Order: sequence, then structure tokens, then C-alpha cells
Amino acid sequence: MMTETSGIAIELKNVVKRFPNPGGGEVVAVDHVNLKIRNGEFFSLLGPSGCGKTTSLRMVAGFEWPTEGEIFLNGKAIGRTPPFLRQVNTVFQNYALFQHMTVFQNVAFGLEMEKATKSEIDRRVNAALEMVQLGKLGNRKPRQLSGGQQQRVALARALVKRPAVLLLDEPLGALDMKLRKEMQLELKALQEQVGITFIYVTHDQEEALTMSDRIAVMDRGKALQVGSPVEIYERPNCRFVADFIGETNFISGVVTDISEGLATVRLDFTDREMVGLPQGDVRRGQKVSISVRPEKLRLVQEMAYNIGQVPNSLNSFPVKVITTTYIGSDTRVLVEMNEHIHLRVWEQNRISTLDPQAYYMEGQQVWVTALNENVLVLPEEEG
Amino acid sequence: MLRDKDRYLNIVLVSPSIVAVLIFIYGFIAWSGRVSLSKWKGLTPDYTWNGIRNYLDLFSDPRFAVDIRNTLIFTGVFVGGSLVLGFLLAVMLDQGLRGESFFRSLFLFPMAISYIVTGVVWRWLMNPAMGSRMSGLNLLFANLGLDPLVNAWHTTPKWGMAAIALAAIWQMSGYTMAIYLAGMRSIPHELREAARIDGASEFQIYRRIILPLLAPVTLSALIILGHMSLKVFDLIIAIAGKQLQLDVPAIYMWQATFDGLFYARGAAIGMILLISVAVLIIPYLRYTLKTDSQP
Repeated sequence: MMTETSGIAIELKNVVKRFPNPGGGEVVAVDHVNLKIRNGEFFSLLGPSGCGKTTSLRMVAGFEWPTEGEIFLNGKAIGRTPPFLRQVNTVFQNYALFQHMTVFQNVAFGLEMEKATKSEIDRRVNAALEMVQLGKLGNRKPRQLSGGQQQRVALARALVKRPAVLLLDEPLGALDMKLRKEMQLELKALQEQVGITFIYVTHDQEEALTMSDRIAVMDRGKALQVGSPVEIYERPNCRFVADFIGETNFISGVVTDISEGLATVRLDFTDREMVGLPQGDVRRGQKVSISVRPEKLRLVQEMAYNIGQVPNSLNSFPVKVITTTYIGSDTRVLVEMNEHIHLRVWEQNRISTLDPQAYYMEGQQVWVTALNENVLVLPEEEG
Repeated sequence: MLRDKDRYLNIVLVSPSIVAVLIFIYGFIAWSGRVSLSKWKGLTPDYTWNGIRNYLDLFSDPRFAVDIRNTLIFTGVFVGGSLVLGFLLAVMLDQGLRGESFFRSLFLFPMAISYIVTGVVWRWLMNPAMGSRMSGLNLLFANLGLDPLVNAWHTTPKWGMAAIALAAIWQMSGYTMAIYLAGMRSIPHELREAARIDGASEFQIYRRIILPLLAPVTLSALIILGHMSLKVFDLIIAIAGKQLQLDVPAIYMWQATFDGLFYARGAAIGMILLISVAVLIIPYLRYTLKTDSQP
């Protein structure tokens, strides 16, 4: 059957995974997840621990079978195929290297199990080690290597079998920050070089934003939003995504009007209104959360419409500076609209000066403004 | 740092046991060593210097040659059998079967029994009597129609020692099962998954991944079982009594010393046993103490 799946490497269709709870009942680890992962894509599953990202990955790997739904690899159902019969390979968080074998033997193990000839094993293992820049270390034992090198061995072992899809479960979790950043860039470069679809599980939003072509943000077993890093950060479709990715200010309110693609929201505890972009299902009269990221708020000395910065003066409020924190690249200012509404504002330090008057002072009265497109109106989550 | 007062108190408190160990262990080892170099024969002590004469005599003594041969057979069958059976039992329990803790205890229980009791039970199980007086395993085999398995057990010429080793395997394979199982449980689950992705069968996973990773466990078991088999005494006495055919150094030592009053010869056998056990145990202790003290 020809479907629209051409170009789709992995598809999860209505996938549900329930585990029996030791204390009785069931735990729903993955709850009706639908994902389409394109060929050659670097795709991340991002979410807090327990969100179902690792379980989803393990179902693609074949270590778990879906309770309901189906998983497709290049259009073929693989939900109940054993791991070694899938063209899918996994890089484990703790590398899972065989400590009693040399680096070469580790990488060669899968080919030996396939009964490849010795010359083919030699050729392919050396090529794989070369690719991860470990060409000279084939005779070492894993414990003689650094964490980053062990990570590369795990990669070579997974890539040597030429999988269609490579699964990576927090592969950089055990590395220190500096090495982690290096490996992020290297992994991304490697992925572009080999052109294999990568599915990458992480709880580190910065890592996901840096590396991914697209990201699925998961929480409590559901895939809440799927999109490019820019889409996920700039247009989160719900409060959880806005909160989990980056930092943001939330203000609750009720929608009073929707027109020309903009929603007007009356803020709780004030008689003021804000205008912003409605995300997802937002209707008049509905309770909503407004999300504005701290770097997208601006502080000005005068009311904004006077300087022509904000055409609609609604998103401009007098506030009082509570604290300011200078952190080098920017100054983080906490301002108070009233006793219920506090906003974090990050002012970039564009001008170099030692004059304390140039920075906002505690107790100072200023105006905070935001462009309409920087104000996101998100439906309030139930529960 | 300990204060001086605490330090003195510590020394005072441990000194009784240090003194006891020095006298009753190392003192008596030294005394046995001295006796083994003497001409003491009979009830009156005789410390006349005899050099290593007693040792040289032993190595040309045909009885001692039989002892060494018997010890080698016993060690081979007992250690090999316990390792293989223990590993297989561990693999079985490792499959996560129902009632695992019940079987674990079941296999471990024989270890709680003394060799004398094991010996008495197996003496009956391995009763070599034939015909109407047949009992134990032979009777079971005969009734099951497994007549080729009916055998003379420990009374078999030359290989009788192997039958004794069966009883020892029964007693100790639970122990090797327990340490192998603990070892298997400490191997990260991802290693098996990684091997499974690579297409390894369950047999290959145990053969190529688990068993090599458990080499330190195998070494521990080898040494613990090995030094036990060098010292075997009570099990043989309980099953077969003192028979030349099933003689081992420990029995020879007993007979030479207390039945024959050849104190010097008995002491020499004792020293040979001590040295052969030490050759096994000391490198092992050094290795484990060194690895334990590492952070």
C-alpha cells in the first residue's frame, strides 16, 4: 500500500504503553503518541523524567512492545519485531561497552553475530572507528579510554551495522559540561555526515534546541508539541511547553475579545488588558495564561506609545523595580505591576559603562512594554 | 587522627586476641614446622634435628603419591562440577522465574549442613551393595530401568574419589550459584540489550558477555573451593572411613600422627598442606584486600 509515509523514517501511530504497577493497577507511560520522524532528521524527545520519552525510544528500539497502536519503520509495521531484526540501533546512556573486549572487538561484535567475513569485519570496523576519530585506539580496553572516547566507541558500535535509524538515550548525560558541548557539535556533524535518522532522548532543553531539526516535547506520556527549535521556543502551544523550554513570565487572565488574529486578555487582579497571539484553542471568555519571555520585555523610562515602539499601547504598564542583578551580558530586573503580578525582565547590556545611573535602580518607577507578537495567549490547562 | 589515649586503649583492647592468635595459630604453626624437621616418633618428644628428611621421604612414599593423585581427582571433579552446576543454576534463576527466592534458598541449604552429615546421607545414597541389599541411588536407577548407571560409587577402583566429589558438589554448588547470581545481577541490563541488538542469542550472551565479565567471580569460587578440596577429610571419613583407596593427605596426617605416632611425619604432611593452601589463598587475599581498599 502506498501511503504518505515516503520520506518518513519512523512513525508512531496512537502508541500506548501501560506497565503493571507493582502496587496494583497500571501506569500509563506513553499515552496515545503520534509522531512522524523524517528520513535523515535529527529528532529529539524532550521532557522531564517520567514523561515517557525513554519508553517511547525503547519501543522504537524493540525492548518494549506497544500495548496499543503501531510503530512503522519506512512504512513497515515493526511494533513486535525483535530488536536485532529492526534496522535500528541504540546508543545507551552508560555506553554499555563490553569491558572485557578491546575497542575493536566491541565494534566488531555485531558483525561477528551476523557472520560477516573477517576481511569485511576488519574493513567496516576500521572505517567506523576512523569516522569517530578512534582509528588508533582499536587495541585499547574501554576502561583505558576517557568518557568522551567511550562515548565514541558506543557510537561506532551502533553505526557499524548501518542502521536506518539511530536511537540515543541521553548519550551525553555522563559527561562534564565542557565535553558535553563539544560532543553536541560533533554528534550533530556526524549525523549530517552519515545522513542517518537520529532520535535523541534528553531532558536538557538547551541540548535539544542546539542539536535538533525538530523536537517533540513530552509530559506525562503525551507528546504536547512537535516542531523546530524556533517553533517550540517562540510559539509554544501550551503552558507546559512555554514553561519547560527556556524561561518565561506567566500572567493569568480571561479572554475578552478575539479579532484579526489577536486576543485581548483582561489580567487577573488588575483592570488592565494585554494583547497577544492566541496559541492553540483559545476562545472568548476562556481563562488563559499569558506567557512573555524575560528577554522580550523592554523597560523604558517613558510610556511606550510616546516613543512609537509599541503601536498598541495596551501592552505597556507602569511598574516598580524590585531588584536588579547584573550578570555581565545582561541585567536581570524583577519588576512589580501590583502585589500579585511580578515580571522578570532581561535587559541586554548594549552599552559599556561604569555609571551606576545607567542601570535600573531598586524602587525606580519605569514602564514595561512588549510587542504583541511577543505576548502568547495559552489555554489554561485543566487540573 | 586518634588521640594518644584512644590509641593506647585500642591496643589494650585488641591485645588479648592478638596474643591468642600469636600463640595458638602462629605459635603452633612454628612448633609444627619444628616438629616436621625432627625425628619425633613415639610418645616421647624427640626434637633431634633431621633436616628436610621427612619431606624427602614423603615424596618417595607410595602412599603419599596415591594421596596426591586422589586430591587431584577430587579437586578436578569437585571444583569443575561445582562451577558448572552453580553457573547453570544461576543462569536458570537469572531468567526471572517465579519463586526464585524459594529455589535460591533450596540450592543454598546444603551449604548449611556439615560435611559429616552430608557424608552420612551420601554414604547411604551411594551404597555400593548389589542385589537384594541394593539401596539409595543404585536402587533408584535399577527401578527406573537405568541399569547402566548402577555402579560401585566410591568403591570403584582408581576413580572412587570422583564419587566422594559428587557429595561435595551437592554441598557447594549452591554457593557458586549464589555468587554467580549476585555477579549476574550486578551486570548492567544495557549490556545484554546491547548484545541483543547486535543479534546475539541468549546462549551467546552468556557465553560471550556474561561469563567473561564474571571472571573475577569464577576466580573467587575457584580459590574458595580449591582450598576446601585440599583440606578434605571429614566427608571421606563419614562416607568411607579410612581406606587406602580413598586416602588424602589430611587422612594420612591423622593416621601418621595419632594412629602411628609418627609425629614428625604427620607434622611434615601438615606443613605441606599449609603451604599448598597458602599458595592459593595468599595471592587471592592480597588481590581482594588491595581492590577493596581502593576508593
